[in-house]
Amino acid sequence: MLFIMPVVLIVISSLMQEFGWSSLTKDPTVQVLFVDNDHDSLSLKIKSGFRESQSFEVIDRLNNNLLTDSTAKNAVKRGEYLVAIVVPKGATSTMRANVRLSVAKTLAGFGIGNPGLVNGIVFKDSVDVKIYFDPTVKKTFKNALISSIRENYYKFQTDWVFKTFNQEIALQMPMYKAPKDAFKEILHFKEEYPSYREVELIPNTSQHNVPAWTIFAMFFIVIPLTQSMIQEREGGSLFRLLTMPVSYMTLLMGKVGVYLVVCMMQTAAMLLAGILLLPLFGLPMLVLGNDILALFVMSMVVSMAAVGYGLMIGTIAKTHQQAAAFGSISVIILAAVGGLWVPIYLMAPFMRTIANLSPLNWAITGYYSIFLRGGNLIVIVPQAIKLLLFFLTTVSITALYYKYKSPLNN
Amino acid sequence: MSRKPIIEIRELTKIYTGAEEPAVNSISLEIFPGEIFGLLGPNGAGKTTTISILCGLFPATSGNVTIDGLDSQTDMVKIKQVIGVVPQDIALYPTLSGRENLTFFGNMYGLHGSALRDKIDHYLTEFGLEKHAGKAVGKYSGGMKRRVNLIAGLLHDPKIIFLDEPTVGIDVQSRVVILEYLMEINKKGVTIIYTSHYMEEAEQLCSRVAIIDRGNIIALGNPKELVAEQPRFQNLENVFIHLTGKDMRD
Ligand SMILES: Nc1ncnc2c1ncn2[C@@H]1O[C@H](COP(=O)(O)OP(=O)(O)OP(=O)(O)O)[C@@H](O)[C@H]1O
Ligand SMILES: [Mg+2]
Repeated sequence: MLFIMPVVLIVISSLMQEFGWSSLTKDPTVQVLFVDNDHDSLSLKIKSGFRESQSFEVIDRLNNNLLTDSTAKNAVKRGEYLVAIVVPKGATSTMRANVRLSVAKTLAGFGIGNPGLVNGIVFKDSVDVKIYFDPTVKKTFKNALISSIRENYYKFQTDWVFKTFNQEIALQMPMYKAPKDAFKEILHFKEEYPSYREVELIPNTSQHNVPAWTIFAMFFIVIPLTQSMIQEREGGSLFRLLTMPVSYMTLLMGKVGVYLVVCMMQTAAMLLAGILLLPLFGLPMLVLGNDILALFVMSMVVSMAAVGYGLMIGTIAKTHQQAAAFGSISVIILAAVGGLWVPIYLMAPFMRTIANLSPLNWAITGYYSIFLRGGNLIVIVPQAIKLLLFFLTTVSITALYYKYKSPLNN
Repeated sequence: MSRKPIIEIRELTKIYTGAEEPAVNSISLEIFPGEIFGLLGPNGAGKTTTISILCGLFPATSGNVTIDGLDSQTDMVKIKQVIGVVPQDIALYPTLSGRENLTFFGNMYGLHGSALRDKIDHYLTEFGLEKHAGKAVGKYSGGMKRRVNLIAGLLHDPKIIFLDEPTVGIDVQSRVVILEYLMEINKKGVTIIYTSHYMEEAEQLCSRVAIIDRGNIIALGNPKELVAEQPRFQNLENVFIHLTGKDMRD
């Protein structure tokens, strides 16, 4: 049970997250209604830009009818589609006209062409590209979509400016020969994820999920550990153990040893599930870092912190119910606060400060160093030390509590 | 008796936190090697409290205890090596089998390997448990649990054994087996301190008894002599009721 539950947890949550994530990053998944009233280069450029990005699927017909502004708007209103884009009539020609005019005005500044005439002409009003968003879409998604449109627009406009310049200059200076490729885009956006790895790895959901759920499950060792401690106390076995020629510290360390082994086995099972099981569900495979030693050390200190925490609760709690309730709730809180589910960079500043106090945060930071940044032993030292100190603190509290407040000792 | 006592208790007092009355009230007692010593008393008299302190489970509020020449305040770990304890409440892991329980506790006493295995086999046979050795203790009958509980305190061949109501709630057969075994090891020189509510049993078994009530020793001596001192009563049970009264206790 101890091994199966976390594995089920990991598969389900990865599946769930995968749907959320891949909708923005993989496969044509987000459907975009596209109303083309322009029927010219600009709208074609935006449309092809969407197609190339592979994040969006462009739809310009519904029920075999070309979309119009109102049919698209209604479809979004009914919640059938997340987003509709309307490129207005004359968008391309307006842009062309304004580009031609600004080129002419620029050249007029050099005395080329007909300055008197050109300076008298005013720019056409800008045109609005309308975007209908379903109210439920997230801001990040909106931003991503708008910047995608904007990027395609600027590419197209820059290209057009150069073409127009060439045409105008050729018109004015017959011996001018337009260069074959006058323009090369300078800015090109390439996604990269800097890490210590030699071969770069694009972060996938498994790299995020598996460590997070593994840590969560490791800390849930608190439940069986506290239950066994309380059972030992109530069932009298502790009573017998205390009549034996071993110190309480030795008994505690024996418990720590046993549960460390269980915790490490559980961790191994979950990481193996990430490697072997998730791909069977069509999910990305977990890739271990380059440094197995670092991974082992990290898992060890996280296990120690979890076991120490369990010892402390098992000693202080008076009943099974108390230990189970406090143990599970506190682990869930420490996980939430520590950024296991919502990354801390999305948290408010004061929450980030609190997050840094959660041992589960130290754990996830250490694991991410290994799994996402390909970090080695040196990189995880700060987290490892914190977790080790946490372990020592909890064991000391346990020993002191036993000495002064043990229920056998009141 | 001129022999040197194996257990010396001097003005031992235990007041539990928050309690108004002491559970054990300044008792002094000497127990000699080879005795079967009975601690008798009604419910709540302080028997378990006394035994717990002697076994080093928790410290006394005041007073001194010396066991086998060792001071309990400084040498408890050494003392624990020579004493065996059979607690009043069954102290076993219910999910482990009888054999697993005994192996675990044997290991805790530093016993390992075939020596321990042979010893466990010996005791399981002796107490008629060999057929159930692999079954979880949680599924044992009350008498079987008592027998395993007893064996767990004997594995390391202690010089002194404390038994807190070892025969409570079991049938005559189990009780006879347990008592005969105790007498057998007592003949080999093991000192036995035991508590009981069965006066007849104590009368037969014990070289001396102490009757405790409300934390105080109210009678001490050989059971036959205690009966003889009270010519009106024929047995220890009547003496006991005479001394402790007929009121029921908490
Ligand atoms: N852990 C404890 N905390 C507080 N009071 C206790 C504790 N254990 C026992 N007592 C109290 O101390 C007194 C002596 O109890 P003790 O268990 O030593 O009696 P006993 O002679 O063993 O009784 P019984 O025959 O019922 O086992 C009782 O009044 C009991 O309520
Ligand atoms: Mg008792």
